[in-house]
Amino acid sequence: MAERDDLEGAETVSYLEKNRESWTKANAEYTDERAPVAWAREEIAWGMCKVPEAEVRMLPDLEGKEVVELGCGTAYFGAWLKRHGAARVVGVDITPAQLETARRMDEQFGLGLELVEANAEETGLPDASFDLAVSEYGASIWCDPDKWIPEAARLLRSGGELVFLRNATLAVLCWTDDDQVSETLQRPQRGLRRIDWEDDGTAEFQMGHSEWVRVLRANGFEILDMAELYADENTTRHAYYAFDPEWARRWPWEEIWRARKTA
Amino acid sequence: MNVSDDALRNRAHWDETSAVYQEQHGEFIGGSEPAWGEWQIQERELGILGDVAGKDVLELGCGAAQWSIHLARAGARIVALDNSAEQLAHARRLMDEAGVDFPLVHGSAEAVALPDASFDIVFCDHGAMTFADPFRTVPEAARLLRPGGLFAFSMLSPFAWVCWDEGADEVRTQLAGAYFGMHREETPDGAVQFNLPYGEWIRLFRHSGLVVEDLVEPQPGPEARTTYGFPLDWARRWPSETIWKARKP
Repeated sequence: MAERDDLEGAETVSYLEKNRESWTKANAEYTDERAPVAWAREEIAWGMCKVPEAEVRMLPDLEGKEVVELGCGTAYFGAWLKRHGAARVVGVDITPAQLETARRMDEQFGLGLELVEANAEETGLPDASFDLAVSEYGASIWCDPDKWIPEAARLLRSGGELVFLRNATLAVLCWTDDDQVSETLQRPQRGLRRIDWEDDGTAEFQMGHSEWVRVLRANGFEILDMAELYADENTTRHAYYAFDPEWARRWPWEEIWRARKTA
Repeated sequence: MNVSDDALRNRAHWDETSAVYQEQHGEFIGGSEPAWGEWQIQERELGILGDVAGKDVLELGCGAAQWSIHLARAGARIVALDNSAEQLAHARRLMDEAGVDFPLVHGSAEAVALPDASFDIVFCDHGAMTFADPFRTVPEAARLLRPGGLFAFSMLSPFAWVCWDEGADEVRTQLAGAYFGMHREETPDGAVQFNLPYGEWIRLFRHSGLVVEDLVEPQPGPEARTTYGFPLDWARRWPSETIWKARKP
């Protein structure tokens, strides 16, 4: 048993460190430079498809809410929530370079976000201290769902909501090893859970819908909604991340889950 | 009861094909234990319905009532509905052979002539959830359930639907159809089939006052067989079927 625990411990360190390295690099290459534009955006929009929140309505009323963003990166999403009425936004991220950008932006925009360097699987924040937990391409894909979903449940008050955006499962199944998306299934859904990318050593967590339903239910969440996102004729390619708007017009690129802590 | 054009079309389809269907698949789906879908994965293994003894249970699209006969024997008070009189004639024959009796209702699951809140379980194994419009059947199931009641049904998975090559009439690894807007499809054999994207199912349950309890994407075993012609290697790698469980609070 001790051996197994050690092994799991080592694996955890390895993907968290690799992901931190990768996001340090992404910060230098793209996210830091992009942050002022992202922070300045008035409207809340979801993912690379940039679907306006006003269209999908996946967030609860934000007025007066205490919000934690799990895997906030440069915290533009938390900034939007603060601007739309949240009383308090705590951004948690594991990459210091990303948080440095977030802090600089927060000073510039004067929104008063709280930024915490921590792994979203164990934030160290107090129990039942938030009304809303969000993750937009944060913990939702970079953390182990068997760790970050229980952590989100722990952080939420009873009746609090969890809203997160991840890659759509069908898109994940169609990803090729060289960062493109194919019109042919490329990897089995059976056993899909953690994808280790050979080129940069990062690991991400992706699962099928039945696994998501089960992990949410097992952690005391009632599933309120799930929106699958598509591109439209005006959607453009992304400046930095792999994204094919042509593909995303016929098949879902991203999906948002909305769940409520019942107990 | 108001019967939609699609329900009439599927009634004609099933009245015409019922004999051939039961000839081809009747024995396979009429095993000694209740089992789900085109791989006949046993209920004992999946545990979707739980204990049915003493419960009021409605089957939507019972075909020759292979499922309902099992549940009647397990002590359920069964009502079995089908849109095709021919299918119900096969049901009556199997019920007589089995020596069990329960009400058979001829009608579409889109508008069921039974009172509100009269069932503990409404279920369907392929059947009506494939051949009737979910925007009508899901609210109808919710209406028929008592508080605390369970709605459970299996059907082709949305991913198998997207990968269905209509020309070849088989599933491929190539995405053949769009996922966006998935709802209604006329099949080459004259039937109309329905399905929804995963998120649309969740949204429809919620709008119908049901709470999502589980989603099962059963995987056939390495030696599984089927009479439905579905390739095992595909179904071993991706979900060929989904089983939703939703509860009326």
